[in-house]
Amino acid sequence: MAVAAHAWGWLRRKALLIYAGLAVAYMLIPIAIIAVFSFGATPQGKLTFGLNDGFTTEYWSSAFSLPELNEALFTSLRLAALSTLIATAIGTLMAIALVRHTFRGRHLANLLIVIPMATPEVVIGASLLSMFIYYTFALGFTTLLIAHVMFSISFVVVVVRSRLIGFDRSLEEAAADLGATPLATFRTVTLPLLAPGVVAAALLAFALSIDDFVISNFNSGTTVTFPLYVYGVSLRGIPVQVNVLATMLFIVTAIAAALVLIQQRRAERMAAVRPEPEAPPTLSPA
Amino acid sequence: MRGRGRRRSTALLAVAVAMVTLAFGLAACGGDTVGGGNQDEVTTAKGGPVSGQLTISNWPGYMDPGPNNTIAKFEKTTGVSVDYIEDVNENESFFGKMQPLLKEGESGGRSIFVVTDWMAKQMYDLGFLQEIDHADLPTVFENMRPQLESPAFDPGRKFSVPWGSGMGGLWVDTAKAPEIRSVNDLFDPKSKGKRTMLGELREPVPLVMLAEGIDPVEATNDDWLNAIDRIGEAAESGQIRRFTGNDYTEDLTAGNIVGAIGWSGDASIIENPNAEWRMPTEGCSLWSDNMVIPVGAPNVGAAFGWMDFIYQPEVNAPLAEYITYIPPVEGVQDLVKPELAKDPLVFPSPKFTAKCTDQDSPPDIEPVNEAWQEVITG
Amino acid sequence: MSLRQRLVPYWLLGPGLLWLIIFFVVPMYFMGELALRSGSLTTGYTFDWAWANFPDSLSGHTEQIGRSFFYAGTATILALLIGYPLAYAIAFRAGRYRTLLLFAVIAPFFTTYLIRTIAWKTILSDSSPLVSVLQTLSLVPPDGRVLATSGAVIAGLTYNFLPFMILPLYANLERLDLSLVEAAKDLYSSSRQAFLRVTLPLTMPGIVAGVLLTFIPAFGDYINAQLLGGTQQAMVGNVIQSLYLNQRDYPEAAALSFLMMALILGIVSLYIRFAGTGAFMGGDEEEAT
Repeated sequence: MAVAAHAWGWLRRKALLIYAGLAVAYMLIPIAIIAVFSFGATPQGKLTFGLNDGFTTEYWSSAFSLPELNEALFTSLRLAALSTLIATAIGTLMAIALVRHTFRGRHLANLLIVIPMATPEVVIGASLLSMFIYYTFALGFTTLLIAHVMFSISFVVVVVRSRLIGFDRSLEEAAADLGATPLATFRTVTLPLLAPGVVAAALLAFALSIDDFVISNFNSGTTVTFPLYVYGVSLRGIPVQVNVLATMLFIVTAIAAALVLIQQRRAERMAAVRPEPEAPPTLSPA
Repeated sequence: MRGRGRRRSTALLAVAVAMVTLAFGLAACGGDTVGGGNQDEVTTAKGGPVSGQLTISNWPGYMDPGPNNTIAKFEKTTGVSVDYIEDVNENESFFGKMQPLLKEGESGGRSIFVVTDWMAKQMYDLGFLQEIDHADLPTVFENMRPQLESPAFDPGRKFSVPWGSGMGGLWVDTAKAPEIRSVNDLFDPKSKGKRTMLGELREPVPLVMLAEGIDPVEATNDDWLNAIDRIGEAAESGQIRRFTGNDYTEDLTAGNIVGAIGWSGDASIIENPNAEWRMPTEGCSLWSDNMVIPVGAPNVGAAFGWMDFIYQPEVNAPLAEYITYIPPVEGVQDLVKPELAKDPLVFPSPKFTAKCTDQDSPPDIEPVNEAWQEVITG
Repeated sequence: MSLRQRLVPYWLLGPGLLWLIIFFVVPMYFMGELALRSGSLTTGYTFDWAWANFPDSLSGHTEQIGRSFFYAGTATILALLIGYPLAYAIAFRAGRYRTLLLFAVIAPFFTTYLIRTIAWKTILSDSSPLVSVLQTLSLVPPDGRVLATSGAVIAGLTYNFLPFMILPLYANLERLDLSLVEAAKDLYSSSRQAFLRVTLPLTMPGIVAGVLLTFIPAFGDYINAQLLGGTQQAMVGNVIQSLYLNQRDYPEAAALSFLMMALILGIVSLYIRFAGTGAFMGGDEEEAT
């Protein structure tokens, strides 16, 4: 009986991992395709997703030869970094306020956060544009930044909040009991424990910004972001360098993730220990 | 608990009502008409020194690449620094993006747009464009091909200078469906679901009308609507796979389709050796993309300089070799590679395009546009 | 509570609310005003309390609205089925590889929506090996295709919005106290019971967040339908885009947008009531000592 249960447990555990592995593979298939076709030779240097002409590395060696592409990519990276910073900071503060405090106008605040997520991007983009025009505010990087922060805030709040809700307060209470001020508790206990949620939110905000097309299209003026560039050239043939740069970006991020991994192992030794529940747990949760 | 809840929702309601009242109070104060055509104050763009900074909005694929391309040559010759943006992907969406700016007399920093003839006319009718003085563009009007000098949409070329022309017709995968020679053949149930049509109203509909023997320029609104109905039925039955932009080229390359309505100059992007552009038996549609000067354009002098520069045959020839659409400049045929010079798609003879029609708008655009959008959005 | 303490939440909320009000609410007002105008591009748009715009914009587009529900709903369910186990695995089984896996979830975002979707277009094209395999397995009729069908659009939506499902799930799962599950098992519940009775309810906030973050943008999406769909797959987003950019019927576009927003908000509040936790809206049961 025990052996069978043990085997079943083992299988189930493996099944989850296998399933997860498949899911990850699924996520990465298009990236693999993109990478593969960055080596495909084509006349005129336009992407065709057909491998009729064999392989070549010429696009990798000339990856940065298209100035408009480079500029677009750089603009997107700058924009995403800035908007992530601002949106994550603002959003985290909001999430804390919403979960930890009661105050007048809480429902209204909730509403205000949820509604932008319920709005189609076409609408957000077009309405923002009308407002900028009305106040003759020059379109460009600044208007893009404003728009990107705007639509990112809601997502940051939602992600951080969902983490805050399951939060165990006893650690903070312990710190307070040991004489820490609220600010110190926040800095040394809350924030580190909140970190994974904040990081997840920041990643999401960064991804949203890098990827945004519709809203950027309306509010960019003459500034060209990477998605805008891709859309433009996709109609007349995407230069293979686009694939090359996309793959490069992926590789760079992979290296960054690996570095974080190493750093994380070090940090794990210093991370807070999970609290043990003081009393035997009841069987009916919440 | 209940008391708290009730108080909260009453407060919420009160705030909401206050906001709504305020908003509409403000709006009622306005009560004005926004937008609308305004032809009263059309200005004529004045020439000037060719210097400074120039921003151009053009379609992708309309500029030769490389560090020594046409833009670089212009910059070297004149000292003007050019910001060339390829953000005109579709006439409609470009217009949609620019319209709020143009309404206020702004061009977003751009001195030149390149848009298709009917869109140029639409912009002009709305007062969004400036007129051009031919005296400021000697090279342009000296070298322009005679057939382009006075088109139906802009007789006398008051506000537009052609950049390139092309033909809308049939792209056929000759290995799989060699029998497609007319737009009517696209409705043939054989190889159903392997046809696409362009999504811009003025491409497939006039061609379908031509195929039925109706002259699109003379057509009535009902003719347009009937043609749209016919296309709509084909779409619903699955005969037509998709309505596309330029991306029909991908479908052709991937073998997803065997017949499409498409543009003559797209050969360079289609990787299918069996695909060829065919002049439909009943004729094609002829269009041109034009440079226009918007209201609020900075540095018109440099813009004129650019136009004149482009219209020199020796400058236009390498451009034509890359774009492979019909160049507007006289004399280019002698300067390009021999294979290109003989290509009827780039240098069509008048006989070749005899049955072709200009792209025009229906007499009453709104119901037609609405009907068409219904078809496209399923 | 001192006045200073009472003001703390307002300070925390301040910057965000201000940003949202100026850059979201105010433009919405402009758009709302637009919805009550009538006219056209050439005649100008006159403000005349044209309430008729609202029902008008709905009529004739009910098919696309229904379709959007169906596509977004299916995509969300699929994303949940794929995403929950993955998030669970990342949170509890990944160990050292957690960051790497999280990165794998986010990575697709860096290659641009358009390129990803075009890559799928290639993978699903009529002559691709994948489609041939599906045809052999009789999942696709022999002369059928995958592209330009509802299936392709749903697949595209699922793929593109999967990270939106996984991240909130992970953020919430990671905080789960496994000892509660162990305790349940100590008390003789099976693994499945432990999951259903302990894990699932405790991770409900994450599920709610993930579902909403996936369904809502999927509902308003139009790129997947445009690239992967055919003539009969248009969604509400396509309609609004067409109204706005092609027909330039701004009043109707604005009216339809408002209706769409109202619809989504209605669903959101219904769902939250049904999901029963109230935790998403930071409800009353959340302590605030």
